[in-house]
Amino acid sequence: MEENHNFEKLQEIATRLRLHVVDMIAPSGQGYVQQGLGAADIFTSLYFAEATMDPSNPTWEDRDRIFLTTAHNTAIFYATLAERGFFPVSELSTYVNDGSKLEINSSERMGAFVEATCGSLGQGLSVAIGCALSAKRQGRSSRYYVILGDGEMQEGQIWEAAMLAGAKGLDNLCLIVDYNFVQSEGSMDKVMSLEPLLTKMTSFNFSCLEVDGNDIAALLNAYAKARETKNKPTFIKANTVMGKGVPSLEGLMFHQLRFPEEVARSARTELEAQI
Amino acid sequence: MRTLTQLEAADFINRSFKPLPRAYGDALVDAALSDPRIVALCADLVPPTETDRFRDVLPERFHNVGIAEANMIGIAGGMARSGEVPFCHSFCAFITKRVLDQITMQAAYPNLPVKIVGFLPGVATLLGVSHQAIEDVAIMRPIPNVAIFEPSGPEYHAAMVQLALDWDGPVYLRMKRPETTPPEFSPMPLEIGKGVIRRDGSDITIISAGLCVSESLKAAEKLSRQGIEARVIDMASIKPIDSDLIIESALKTRAVITAENHSVIGGLGSAVAEVLMDEGIGIPFKRIGIQDQFCEGGTTPYLMKKYGIDADAITTSATGVMKRKAK
Repeated sequence: MEENHNFEKLQEIATRLRLHVVDMIAPSGQGYVQQGLGAADIFTSLYFAEATMDPSNPTWEDRDRIFLTTAHNTAIFYATLAERGFFPVSELSTYVNDGSKLEINSSERMGAFVEATCGSLGQGLSVAIGCALSAKRQGRSSRYYVILGDGEMQEGQIWEAAMLAGAKGLDNLCLIVDYNFVQSEGSMDKVMSLEPLLTKMTSFNFSCLEVDGNDIAALLNAYAKARETKNKPTFIKANTVMGKGVPSLEGLMFHQLRFPEEVARSARTELEAQI
Repeated sequence: MRTLTQLEAADFINRSFKPLPRAYGDALVDAALSDPRIVALCADLVPPTETDRFRDVLPERFHNVGIAEANMIGIAGGMARSGEVPFCHSFCAFITKRVLDQITMQAAYPNLPVKIVGFLPGVATLLGVSHQAIEDVAIMRPIPNVAIFEPSGPEYHAAMVQLALDWDGPVYLRMKRPETTPPEFSPMPLEIGKGVIRRDGSDITIISAGLCVSESLKAAEKLSRQGIEARVIDMASIKPIDSDLIIESALKTRAVITAENHSVIGGLGSAVAEVLMDEGIGIPFKRIGIQDQFCEGGTTPYLMKKYGIDADAITTSATGVMKRKAK
């Protein structure tokens, strides 16, 4: 399972993505800063190490598919796609501008690298399962990664989908829940707890792992284990820290913040110091 | 430069939150304080649906059910069967399209007082296609027992709560949170099944609802400068609709246009056309709305212009209809 990864380089990419998140959201104050910073390591590990893809041919049929079902977490998503070469980095500055394709909720009008339009929570997992089932029948070796939100798991459709994936033993499917513990109204506990989540998913016939979602090596290890697991889908509970990478913002639990100029400026300085 | 501490950052962020206008939410709290049957449910969109004060003032009657809209409607059905009057809150897109079967079977068929309250009507959101409800009126309108009301501004928000209570059955409120705190306004009353003549004129009738009412009033001023006097009707009661006023206005002005922040298929324009056709009134007529297409996210003025539902689009359509009338 030992694989050769340049962790220093991956870490640098994650920091660069975080800088984009700050730069994209600062001008308008529209977007999800804390979630973007928190999920940067999940995106880095998937797009720059784990998944197989060809930015020059985004519809390549043997690519691995990554579904972002929390489609509002787009500052980090677009930054990742641009840095990975799917579109020019210069387009990031049009984020949420009138007329820009870089809307807050990603839609497939951007291109095939948005595998499905998922802004309405709870729907993306079913689509990914449909693709994974087709791949099995067609004998394709692609893998199917789904980045889920923790709050999103309150949607009933998630559980219908999980039940099916478990029953079918879909081992080409890997769920990564970005467990930042915050939803619109505040902490998950306050609204409706998902716990004991791993027990639940285990009983749905998933192979379950819990990792530090801000540890790129731990994430890559988990994906590797998922690849080796047969006859079961994998569920990775990736515990992330909101605002990760920017010490002044780390752990501040805001679902949406207006990103005051002073805070954005400080965040940029803190990130630049890391490169 | 010096970087911020976590405390300083949190302080800046906390101070950047502006209090949101809450004309609807305050009216709901007021109603609930005098009517113990009223409860509020929310699918984890509390401030965006103006229910934060309800949560704080009447916590034992407030239920944030999580991000689970279908479950919320079923729960509301159970509460309504138990003598409560549940007001359910989410965005228009989710509280109609996503839960249509639950609304039909657990609120409409048993004709229970389940009040379905959606925010972000039509194209009016930065969030894009997943959060836009351009077909919600069309899918709610044919469901028996359901009434549909849409305010044209915060001055009518309190009346929405009253209309919802006055209708003895399920209601869909299509709400728009003001983006800025509105200047002082006097709450205005509304009646079920009644349109409001907001401006009178004898050349053409513009029937509109929601965001498009103020655009229609602006258009009427432009038309007036061209010598065309428009009657502007605010059809806040989309269902039941004010057939008498539509017929009377059509016969008086001999030209009708409708304007709505919704698809031209199945919404207010269709409702008005149904009334006119049933009555056998064949006059120049035009529906203004989203032209059977998905829309992008953006600022509201940008989207209203891009999709042809702003004052300019209404003025142009009215001029065209007047030419047909002259023939």
